Amino acid sequence: MPDAILTVIEQQAGKLNRMSLETLAAAQAIGHDLGREVEAVIPGSGISELAGQVPAPKVYAIEHPLLEPYTPDGYSIALRQAIEHLRPWLVLLPHTYQVRDFASKLAASLERGFVPDCIGYKVENGELVLTRQLFQGKMNADVAFAGQPPYFASIQAGAYRADQLATVSPAVERIDVRLEPTQVRSRPGERFQEAKQTVDLTQAEVIVAVGRGIKEQENLSLAQGLCEALHAEMAASRPICDNGWLPMERQIGSSGQTVSPKLYLALGISGAIQHLVGMKNSRVIVAINKDQNAPIFEVADYGIVGNLFDVVPPLVEEIKKVKT
Amino acid sequence: MNIVVCIKQVPAKDSTLRPSQDGTWIRETDISYEINEPDAYALEAALRLKEQHGGSVVVLSAGPARAQTVIREALAKGADRAIHLDDEAFVGLDAYNTARLLWLGLKGEQFDLLLTGLQSDDLGLAQTGVVLAELLGLPHATIIMDVQPAGGRVTVKRELEAGWFQMVEMPMPAVLTIQSGLAKLRYAALMGIKKAKTKEIRRITKADLNWNHAEWTNRCVIRRVYVPQKTKQTQFLTGTPKEVAARLVEKLKFEARAL
Amino acid sequence: MEADVLIVGAGPAGLACALRLAQRASAQPGVLDLENVSVLEKGREVGAHLLSGAVMDPRALRELLPGFEKEAPLDSPVTSDAVYFFTQGAQVKFPVTPPFFHNSGNYIVSLNRLGKWLGRKVEETGITIFTETAGMEVLYDEGGNVRGVRSDDKGLDRDRRPKENYQPGSDLHAKVTVFAEGTRGSLAKQLCADKGLARQSNPMTYALGVKELWELPEGRLEAGSVAHTMGWPLAAEQYGGGWVYGLRDRLVSLGLVVGLDYRNPLFDPHDAFQRWKTHPFLRRLLEGGRMIKYGAKTISEGGYFSMPELSTGGALIVGDSGGFLNSQRLKGIHLAIKSGMMAADTVFDALAAGDCSAQRLAACRKSFEASWAHEELWKVRNFHQAFEHGLVGGIFHAGLQMVTGGRGLYARYGAEAGHRRYVKLTERPRGQPSRVAPDGKLTFDKVTDVYHSAAKHDENQPPHLLIHDADICNNRCIREFGNPCQYFCPAAVYEMVEKDGRQQIHLNPSNCVHCKTCDIMDPYEIITWVPPEGGGGPNYENL
Repeated sequence: MPDAILTVIEQQAGKLNRMSLETLAAAQAIGHDLGREVEAVIPGSGISELAGQVPAPKVYAIEHPLLEPYTPDGYSIALRQAIEHLRPWLVLLPHTYQVRDFASKLAASLERGFVPDCIGYKVENGELVLTRQLFQGKMNADVAFAGQPPYFASIQAGAYRADQLATVSPAVERIDVRLEPTQVRSRPGERFQEAKQTVDLTQAEVIVAVGRGIKEQENLSLAQGLCEALHAEMAASRPICDNGWLPMERQIGSSGQTVSPKLYLALGISGAIQHLVGMKNSRVIVAINKDQNAPIFEVADYGIVGNLFDVVPPLVEEIKKVKT
Repeated sequence: MNIVVCIKQVPAKDSTLRPSQDGTWIRETDISYEINEPDAYALEAALRLKEQHGGSVVVLSAGPARAQTVIREALAKGADRAIHLDDEAFVGLDAYNTARLLWLGLKGEQFDLLLTGLQSDDLGLAQTGVVLAELLGLPHATIIMDVQPAGGRVTVKRELEAGWFQMVEMPMPAVLTIQSGLAKLRYAALMGIKKAKTKEIRRITKADLNWNHAEWTNRCVIRRVYVPQKTKQTQFLTGTPKEVAARLVEKLKFEARAL
Repeated sequence: MEADVLIVGAGPAGLACALRLAQRASAQPGVLDLENVSVLEKGREVGAHLLSGAVMDPRALRELLPGFEKEAPLDSPVTSDAVYFFTQGAQVKFPVTPPFFHNSGNYIVSLNRLGKWLGRKVEETGITIFTETAGMEVLYDEGGNVRGVRSDDKGLDRDRRPKENYQPGSDLHAKVTVFAEGTRGSLAKQLCADKGLARQSNPMTYALGVKELWELPEGRLEAGSVAHTMGWPLAAEQYGGGWVYGLRDRLVSLGLVVGLDYRNPLFDPHDAFQRWKTHPFLRRLLEGGRMIKYGAKTISEGGYFSMPELSTGGALIVGDSGGFLNSQRLKGIHLAIKSGMMAADTVFDALAAGDCSAQRLAACRKSFEASWAHEELWKVRNFHQAFEHGLVGGIFHAGLQMVTGGRGLYARYGAEAGHRRYVKLTERPRGQPSRVAPDGKLTFDKVTDVYHSAAKHDENQPPHLLIHDADICNNRCIREFGNPCQYFCPAAVYEMVEKDGRQQIHLNPSNCVHCKTCDIMDPYEIITWVPPEGGGGPNYENL
């Protein structure tokens, strides 16, 4: 229906992307507060069955062979047609690598702006105001739309929880779009994995960081075990990278990366301000340190004053239990 | 090959950031500025391509007079000339309008590749290159780690989530947004710094663009900018290591909902 | 690269020299093409490494740039002057401000901002300032004259291996090189050693200034108010004192200057500064305020008899490197500027005469002796040395000097280099002195303060603090002096850490704020400070 909140659902190799479901949760929250219906749209090829799994009351499946694999031309053109047809009020997308690739092109093709990577929203005088981060998390900005709908925005990973979604069987409607091969100009190859040369910690959702408390290089394996259990990236405070125990790209702090992951575990890190400025805007911070006066506890949500060598092994076990 | 690189001057990462009087931006007086880091990598990529394939590198920047510093630094590193969009009227444009402005600044330029950084260190909107591609009607790819042009087409390595990558191929001219770290940044040589003083910086003001202010309303408006306040109550967990571990996992799963 | 004039250091002395050369060149065309004048600056931008209190005597700037008041970034004219004597819980205001602390007619300035402004003026003349470029080595020709300077290698990793973007340094040749590196210039040190330029002089003595910039609640302190303190927390035999300067926009510059000639090797100047802030007078002043920036730098306090010879074949020394500082008035900016101007005149005249020989350049000495700079420095020639034996004696001698035109009791007071004055641990009462426990609001630990200096260096580069024999640190110094480096360094660069079962020296070079204290004060003279890769260091924005 027109004037709804249309959530764009991403799929990859037959599976729904979890961030898309989080975005649906965000859409529902906004829809509830502003009295708008929430619908979803899922582009792809052969995705009608997948469309039936999207927990929204109404799901539009944009079917076209040229939408597989993903290309920015294909998705922009197809979604533009869908939007012109459906006339939503707000188009909400998950802030994935894919969305970063096409969403602003889609919005620009309709001469609209795009407010990306939002961590929350407010309603001010009946208007939707979105909150996003500036300066790598050092400041926040509240942003409003001007001009005519449709409006475009994307939601940051972990800002909303997908498990709050009610299980709903959607009514699925197919949308046909016109897309010619000549319009799809890029030729993507197969996806492949690589031991990354450079780590982009700013995209990690969970980070385990080690400091001087780890004492010896061999003990990194302890932290590594925790990383594996949590599917986390390993990071460190400066002294660890200075010693060459971890590459410099894994350094968090004023002379390294600034991150704000969903979960940050600081093991044996005292919390000098140089380190804190690199991680204090993480959503949830857990600190384990022997010294109860360590400044890291000032920014921690959960603190454990203790020996990390005693605490981490049972922690790994407990995490494995809940992850299975 | 002819390459255009869009660069932006942003507040230096170690600058003290404070909201401005009206709270809609940061106080810009007395802070240090530097080139946006991903743009420095875009410039590096362009300079390497020029070294391999010949041609020229033109830098394009929209910013106040102080942006000349980063433009000169780019020229010192080896860019051939520059275009500087500098006018009061250009201040405070949103991402869409900024891309439109750059598009106007590019009129008449012929290029095989247009490179930008994947996003800026200040606003982090990650749109300039993508919107430019749409306005120019050119193919594009984002978050690029490697660029290999050949025979009028270019193959790029695109970064994806969680350690995945993808090669993408497209015709040139094309627009690419470049990821930080794709190569080590070169230093400007002393001779380069000297030579930069004589390289052309073409300044474009609103008069050169038949500016009609009514056509430039922003679609996204920053209401306010502020330092996020976190009222943190640290919960200290006590007990034996096993107890503490179990309690923490419970808290993370059910209270913090972080697991 | 060949130039006519090479100036190393874009501080007030170097920039004044450049500006004066430009003025002479435009007044007398055909002698010097300003394209052939280069200024090297190791900081990321001009001003990044400039730090001072500061109350500036405008005399020299007025000579260099008449009408400067209209465009120079002066914070405030001085509106009031006071001197306090601190005891632990109270303060006594001097009923009469000593004449050398009369500051009416002077301006409170941020040297960083002043430097930036002067730098812009220099660039407008067509002279190039090469920022992020450090001078590493003095180059000589076969005749032993200074030929120029070698600039820093870029892109070396911590084992000195070339990284992918390696760029070797350049040999920068010039007819005349002006060394304007500021306090304890590393090239000036090399030059003086190579050419024996300090043979006839007293050893240079220094003080360390530790500074913070605070933002205060509205109306707390008047802009332009100048206050100096003496006494607590410094002991009677220590030289030094504090300052509090009211600035515009609710800002205040405050800090403690400590003579680097104290006896107790465990003394920590940064700690003394934090302690000083806890004095009720300052606690009240800073209540509700916010510390926004930090910096530290040494000051060449030795005065007239510690100045080296100011020229040699192919080179001139100006500014703090030459000892152009009036320790009595705590002012050096005007003398730095004047020394830069005099050097510029000497250089220009030499170029005009086509003669840059050592004899020609020695003319700078004559012009110095004929100038007000000489008159001023001569009057305070024994000031710092008067305090060799403590505050009380110092006041006596200084007072005497004031009525004897600077002579005092002796024509030339003796002076001992600061690092020789430590008393060994075995000859001192045992135990660590009490240290301030930082509360994070009024007082801060070094690491937090260093963060506020914006000190940044590429981590993967060769260490720039060369310890010639770490065994001395770990085995001898630890017993004799207790490793004073961990206390005198205001940036927590030096640490003793537990490694392989014993205490060993550990460096955090990227904290370095380029103050030079370690180069000055290590008891065995085994630490040499060399410039790190250009661009690294603090960023004293607005300090």
